[in-house]
Amino acid sequence: MKKNSILNVPLLPPGWKKLAMVFFPLPVLLVIGLAVVYPDTNPDDAAQIIYGFWAIGFGILNLTREKVEDEMIREFRQQAFQTGFFWLIWGLGALMLINYIRYQTIASEMFTAYLVLFLLNGYIYAAFQYQKYLASKEDN
Amino acid sequence: MKNSIKVERAKKNMTQQDLAELVQVSRQTINSIEAGKYVPSTVLALKIARIFGVALEEIFELENED
Repeated sequence: MKKNSILNVPLLPPGWKKLAMVFFPLPVLLVIGLAVVYPDTNPDDAAQIIYGFWAIGFGILNLTREKVEDEMIREFRQQAFQTGFFWLIWGLGALMLINYIRYQTIASEMFTAYLVLFLLNGYIYAAFQYQKYLASKEDN
Repeated sequence: MKNSIKVERAKKNMTQQDLAELVQVSRQTINSIEAGKYVPSTVLALKIARIFGVALEEIFELENED
């Protein structure tokens, strides 16, 4: 069956996973370096740098092809995006509630695009890996 | 949905890897189908039935909870 090309999501070759792994330790080293060079660096800025890099790392992992990208993996991928979004909504709701209990306000400077993208991509990755784990355990 | 892929494989002395290569999926996918953890698409189910030379209904069977 032919697929609508506008809906097609091209995936990166598996080798990109190695590049994605660089994005996890890199911001930590960057923040430490910044703290040494600029001791007055705002800790919130440091957190945003880390969230941003980790969001990119998870984003690359989520858009990288598996060695065999068959229909089961495609179904897992679709389910992971749906589940990741579901967890994001509930997670942000929980953060808002905690924020309200602690500071009596719903809105907070902590809710940045970097944080949301990091959480979304992280949840999607976790949901995808969890499905692969369930499929691989109890091998026949 | 239950299936008899394992039985059909045994009849033809075929491994999961052999079947996976013939229908162009991973061995893990065949394993998940056999274990009832993954329900294949119609296209994949038809490919599997064709490999064994039997009708689809002879391999895949609906259960009450389906």
